[in-house]
Amino acid sequence: MHAVRATGLVKRFGTTVAVDRVDLVIKTGEVRGLLGPNGAGKTTLLRMLLGLIRPDDGSVELLGHKLDHLGGDVLDGVGGFVEDPCFYPYLSGRANLSLLAKLDGGLAEADEIDEVLRRVDLAGRASDRVGGYSTGMRQRLGLAAALLRRPRLLLLDEPTSGLDPAGARAVATLVRELAAAGVAVLLSSHHIGELEKVCDSYTVLRHGQAVWDGTSAELDAQAPQSAYALFTSDDAHALELAAQVPGIRVQHAARGGLAVAARAEDMDELAGALSDARVLIRRLELVVSPLESMFFALTSPDEAAALDALAPEQLADTILAGA
Amino acid sequence: MTTLAPSAPAVPSPPRVSAGVRNAYGTELSKLMAQLTTRILILVCAAGPFAFALALKAQSGTPSDALFGFWVHSSGFAVSLVILGFAGSWGFPIIAGVVAGDLFSSEDRHGTWKTILTRSCTREDVFAGKLLAVGTVVVGLTLIVAASSLIAGVVLVGAHPLVNLSGVLTSASRMLALTVVSWLICLLPVLAYTSVAILVSAATRNGILGVLGPLLLALVTQLLDLIGRGVLVHELLIGSAFDGWHGLFASHPFFGQVLVGSLVSVVWIAVCLAASWRIMRRRDFLTGVSGQGPSWTAPVKVVAVSTVVIAALALGCNIGPNGVTNSRVISAIGHEFNNVTLLQQQLIGRRVPPNARFYIRPECYRPGMTGAGPGDWSCYVYVFLPQANSVPYQLQSVEYDVSVQYNGCYKAQSPPAFVGNATMQNAAGRSVANPLFIVYGCFNIL
Repeated sequence: MHAVRATGLVKRFGTTVAVDRVDLVIKTGEVRGLLGPNGAGKTTLLRMLLGLIRPDDGSVELLGHKLDHLGGDVLDGVGGFVEDPCFYPYLSGRANLSLLAKLDGGLAEADEIDEVLRRVDLAGRASDRVGGYSTGMRQRLGLAAALLRRPRLLLLDEPTSGLDPAGARAVATLVRELAAAGVAVLLSSHHIGELEKVCDSYTVLRHGQAVWDGTSAELDAQAPQSAYALFTSDDAHALELAAQVPGIRVQHAARGGLAVAARAEDMDELAGALSDARVLIRRLELVVSPLESMFFALTSPDEAAALDALAPEQLADTILAGA
Repeated sequence: MTTLAPSAPAVPSPPRVSAGVRNAYGTELSKLMAQLTTRILILVCAAGPFAFALALKAQSGTPSDALFGFWVHSSGFAVSLVILGFAGSWGFPIIAGVVAGDLFSSEDRHGTWKTILTRSCTREDVFAGKLLAVGTVVVGLTLIVAASSLIAGVVLVGAHPLVNLSGVLTSASRMLALTVVSWLICLLPVLAYTSVAILVSAATRNGILGVLGPLLLALVTQLLDLIGRGVLVHELLIGSAFDGWHGLFASHPFFGQVLVGSLVSVVWIAVCLAASWRIMRRRDFLTGVSGQGPSWTAPVKVVAVSTVVIAALALGCNIGPNGVTNSRVISAIGHEFNNVTLLQQQLIGRRVPPNARFYIRPECYRPGMTGAGPGDWSCYVYVFLPQANSVPYQLQSVEYDVSVQYNGCYKAQSPPAFVGNATMQNAAGRSVANPLFIVYGCFNIL
């Protein structure tokens, strides 16, 4: 069964088309990343999926039920939040969850609330007023509120915003656990690296349109070259070997090592050649991943073209500077 | 977050039972009761009447400008009715504004619309739940202040008979019943003010305007009461519905204003809530916390529209028949003067036969004004007293300064040279209020 089936979604604000004929399908147990630059329409799309705004055209089915913008039963089994999660500041975290559980029909018992608070590591501050919470704590409470609905579909907008690295990693683990249990997840994030760790598929938005939609495997196959920082026992020899592999661009980087632009299979070939030549790989860093290069190509074609046009030494510096 | 506690993978659950109005009502009621403003209001409503009654007890003066105010040291019911009169003018609009004025806008301010509307509740459920919760709190507060004022009056002053608005001393049990009914009558207009606050809150998404909305309406009502003579516009305002109970306290009760006030309140409630629901139903919830939300233009629009409406009401407040006419004032003063004079005679120990009447001829006019209408009147009450000698009657006259309000209620006061001091000795030698000193009354303006 499809957890989400959105067809031809359109949302206009005056003369601005925020979302333009977007189709979106998410299967049960699938974790889909939603990417796009600022203003691409990600949040508007999520708001339409949650019934907070009415599409001007198109339709949404969640867990097999047609969604209207008035919410209600059709959102049973759907959890999530858009932008930063918001709560009543004059109530404690636990009291906020109790109220939301009541809105859900009051089926969540106190011990279930305690359990979700424990899962997001908020049990120790659950009795404090939310007004005193940090951004990260409100983010965790937002996750707890979503989990309280025993979701079969999670719609999360920047769920790791405000979290420390360990917290972000824990969220990724949680998402994978939920997906393994059959929960479909739509993750909107600017942190491409975090999405790569958990997503099975991606939808890329640009100017309100879905400019790419597919699985991770399809993305790897279609993505432009990735960029690597390569440090070896003999960079000069490695440079010669790399230059002999078709499809690889390579240059000494200004701050040491080699800057390499290549597809994954070309890097495999280079690794084999280095091994045969007894050149040891001391460090290999993926500086620009396939998803990132695809993202740049799809959402900022000018930037991608500019990257291609750079001289090798400029490319190396750019890559090693984290472009 | 440093770590997430290890957990078992979530197991997909069966669909939940739909959350309905009951769930939304419980949620909204919990939220309201958790707010400091609600708790303060409960405290004020419960303790305020006691503080007022204690303050009155500590001094000899009376709030004589308020209906029944002259009697606050004589009967506890007068204390409750004075508080009811004040509540109708300002107390109820304040309660309605504070409780309901931030009902919708607080969700915008906290950015929590997206939190509650993405649960298993429809917008209809949330809307209905909010209305029921705020209605519960407002009605509860009204009943608290009603009960508190009655208890404070009875405990601190006593459950004594009270002179009604026709000048007749009325038993304590009847006064108790009438006072309770009067408070209950005010529930509908209180809910009408609440609906106004809800509409302003939903339309402007601004809590301050929501709180001020009912107060502004009450202020406009007070201002129009001062300048208009026609009953039509007055009766269409919520504030006028709080005058309905006056008719119950006449010896021959009249109910027209109660019925009209209740009907007007229902119309206000229906219109305001329908408009609020239309806003809620059609709204796109786009923004998070306020600041990114509605711009400053909404309050400006509200002020502009309010100004136009107030101007239109001011121009139209002379439309319709005049409720305060010369014949009504004369009739009311004449009957009441007869009754309070008889009451005074009883208090000083004279026997008054049942249905006794003086021969009285009142004359009333508006100094410097022509025609009729609310304002300051002068009334001369000519009393023909029978004599035993050749001249059959001795003519005595009493002059009263009468302040008549648009709603037909008046306060008549005469210099002590005519009617004696504010207090007098009764037959038992105790000091009691002189019923002729200040006379309150109401006549039917419809």
